[in-house]
Amino acid sequence: MEILKSLGFEFPKFLWQVVNFLILLWILKKFAYKPILNILDERKKSIEDAINNAETAKNEAEKLRKDYESRLAAAKQEAQEIIATATKFGEEMKNQIVTEAQNEAAKAIQRAQEEIAREKEQAVAALRDEVAVLAVLAAGKVLGKAITVEDHEKLVKEFVAEVGDLKC
Amino acid sequence: MSAAGGGEHHGPVDPLITIDIPGTDFHLPIYNFVITSWVIMLILGFTAYLATRNMKRLPQGIQNLWETVVEGLFGFFGGLMGEERARKYGPFLATCFLYILLSNYSGLFPGAAMIKGFVPPTNNISITAALGILVFLSVFYFGIRAKGIGFFKHFFQPMAFLVVLNIIEELVRPVSLSLRLYGNIFGEEKIIEQLGEMVPLIVPLPMMALGLLTGAIQAFVFTILATTYISGATEEHH
Repeated sequence: MEILKSLGFEFPKFLWQVVNFLILLWILKKFAYKPILNILDERKKSIEDAINNAETAKNEAEKLRKDYESRLAAAKQEAQEIIATATKFGEEMKNQIVTEAQNEAAKAIQRAQEEIAREKEQAVAALRDEVAVLAVLAAGKVLGKAITVEDHEKLVKEFVAEVGDLKC
Repeated sequence: MSAAGGGEHHGPVDPLITIDIPGTDFHLPIYNFVITSWVIMLILGFTAYLATRNMKRLPQGIQNLWETVVEGLFGFFGGLMGEERARKYGPFLATCFLYILLSNYSGLFPGAAMIKGFVPPTNNISITAALGILVFLSVFYFGIRAKGIGFFKHFFQPMAFLVVLNIIEELVRPVSLSLRLYGNIFGEEKIIEQLGEMVPLIVPLPMMALGLLTGAIQAFVFTILATTYISGATEEHH
C-alpha cells in the first residue's frame, strides 16, 4: 500500500475510474457491440443465403437446360419423322394420281375409237342409200325416158343386189 | 461548487473542481483525468451512437469504421479463445482496448498539456490500478459464471501444494498489468514533457511518434493479457 501511495495512488481516483469504465462498458455494449455484432451476423447470414440461393438457382438452371436440350432433340427427331412420312405419302399420292390419269386417258382413247367406228358405219350406210338414188337418176338419163315404177323397182333391186356384193 | 485551481506553472491542479454534495459533508472531487475520461467516453459513445443509430446493410462512413473496429477486435479475441467466448467476454476486453488506446493517445493531442482538465488518464497509477483490478475481478466473475465452483479447482493444479504459488500468481497479475501500463505511458509523457521544455520545436517529434507506437502497443498488451487471463479462467478442462 505504501508503495502504491508513493507512486501517487489515490482511492477516489481509483473509484472514479471504476465507475467511468463501467459506464463506458455499458454505453459501448448498448451502442456499439450489440448492434454491430447483430448486423454482422445478419449480413453473414444474408450472404450465406444468397450463396445458397445462387447455388440452387444454378442447379435449377442446369436441370432446365438439360431438360430443354433433351426436349429439343426429341422435337428434332419428331420433325424428321414427320418430314419422312410426308415425303412418303406425297410419293404414293403422286404415283396414284399418275396411274389414275393414265387409266383415264386410256379409257378416253377407247371411247373415241368406238365413236369413230360408229360414225363410220353410219356414214357408209347413208352413202349407200345416196348412191342408189343417184344411180337410178343417172340410169334414167341414160335410157332417155323415165322408167316406170315397176321398171324402177326392178332396177333398184337388181342394183342393190349387185352393189350389195361390193365391198366398201 | 468551488474552483480549487490556481495558475500553477507545472502541471494541472488536482482536483480541478470539487462539488459539494448538498446536505452532506461529502465533497465530490472532479479530477482532471476524469474530465479527459469523459471526453474519451463521449467521443466513443457518440460516434458509436452515430454509427449504429441508423444501420445500413451496406455500411458507410462511421458505421464502416465502427464495424471494422468491432469486427477486428472480436475476430482477434475469437482467434484467442474461440468465437463463442469472444462474444461473451469481448465487450469487456474491447472496451479495455479502446479506452486505454484513446487514453494513451490523449496525451499526444496537440496542446493537450495546456488545456485544463486534459491529462492522459493512463499515466496515473490510480487509473491503471483500477483497470488492473477490473481485469482481476472480471477473471473471477467470468470464471465463476462459466464454471461455478469448479473455477477454483485450477488453484490446486497441477498439484495441490502449489496453491500458494497459484494465488500469488493470480494476485500479481493486476499489479503487473497496472504498473506496466502506468510506467510506459508515464515515462513516455515525462520524456516528451522534458524534451518539450528544453527544445519546444521538432525535437520532441520523434518521441511523440514513438508515443503513437507505445500507446497502441501498451493498449494491445494489456488487452491481450486480459484476454488470456479470462480465457484461462473460462476454459473447459478435459
